[in-house]
Amino acid sequence: MTDIVVKTVEELKDAPEEYREAVSKLVISHAINELYGAQVFDEPAIAYAPTPYAKWLTCRVAMEEYGHHVRFKQLGTQIGIAEERMVPGTGKKPLSIFEFPLKTWEEFVAIKLLADLAEILQVEDLLHCTFHPLRNLARATMPEERFHAQFGEDFSAELVKTPDGKARLQAAVNEYWPYLPSFFGGSKSRNNEIFRKWKIKQRTNDEMRQDFVTRATEVASKYGLTLPEIRQAA
Amino acid sequence: MSRVATLPGAQLEALRIEVRAASWFAALGEPLTEGDRSDAVAYAAALAFDSLEIGLARDWPDAERLLKAPDWTPAWWDREEALRRTLLAQAEARYPERALWSALTELTTEAGDLVHGKAATAAARMGKAAAASIHVAAGAASQAVYQLAVARLAGQPASPFESKFRLYAAGRWPLGILGSRLVLF
Repeated sequence: MTDIVVKTVEELKDAPEEYREAVSKLVISHAINELYGAQVFDEPAIAYAPTPYAKWLTCRVAMEEYGHHVRFKQLGTQIGIAEERMVPGTGKKPLSIFEFPLKTWEEFVAIKLLADLAEILQVEDLLHCTFHPLRNLARATMPEERFHAQFGEDFSAELVKTPDGKARLQAAVNEYWPYLPSFFGGSKSRNNEIFRKWKIKQRTNDEMRQDFVTRATEVASKYGLTLPEIRQAA
Repeated sequence: MSRVATLPGAQLEALRIEVRAASWFAALGEPLTEGDRSDAVAYAAALAFDSLEIGLARDWPDAERLLKAPDWTPAWWDREEALRRTLLAQAEARYPERALWSALTELTTEAGDLVHGKAATAAARMGKAAAASIHVAAGAASQAVYQLAVARLAGQPASPFESKFRLYAAGRWPLGILGSRLVLF
């Protein structure tokens, strides 16, 4: 482990190159994935929401996800990352889950229930980050991510009230769940090793993945849902 | 030669000032004024809904019940959405796409934080609001800001989104159309 604390964007300029590159990679990753999520899932979901109440709630969720992209992009700009590196289609490959366009309201509820739990774990891992501007950004983002996961729980609770609704939600869970554990990266990730070396992140990808599977299983079972077996989970 | 212009910074800044100055959610549940009725009728007429009765939600639980009612009128939402898409295409033809998109995202993000706080204040004052309803109100209000920005950037100053925004600016929340009624909170 290497002890270093970077309290400001200014101080980052004097940090070791490996540290600066690691911070940049994380900021780019979050900026791009927040934007993909908003574009591929949250904004299209507004059309599928069944009532004005659900539509405007989804609007708010979409705007907060876009807002997360804006915040990460602003931090990226402050630390010298070119804007075009923080938007999709300019190099970094998106997560596989973003390759499946949203088709139903139930799919969106399943994504909020499970994929946003994965986002919570990712943000949690930054809450003790040694680069304090990123740590502070994670702290600002966390309440909104928790609200999005709660959105997933609230609408899951609504859907499972009827056998048909529960079946449709379970089908959506079955479709999306297999893609989620890979959200946490490879078991032998060199990037993750560097993040932990500098205490930018705290846990290995496998530790986070196992925690996610445990927590996702718990939250799914609250609503009588099951998670299908997946080969690479845990 | 490209006919795409740079974004009108002064126009966007003027909109930001209007957003900050609006009396977001300050008149919820209050008796309707002639001004409220006039803006509500103009808003409905601009969406081709004529002869609607203007209704009033009394409190947050009443508003929540109306917003979750299964007999709401989807044509109201669909007409707004069709218009928004048309206006966005017009704006995209006038300005560079990424700059337009960034400006709209940043404006809506900034407005979202503002209206979320205003909705929370209104809910605390009136009481009985479900926690999620504050997010719903913020989503509705920031959508109105986004729609207005798109319309103005498309060069359409007479869109229904002008009268809709005026209702919000006067402290109201247009909840939508249910049957023969446009309901304000």
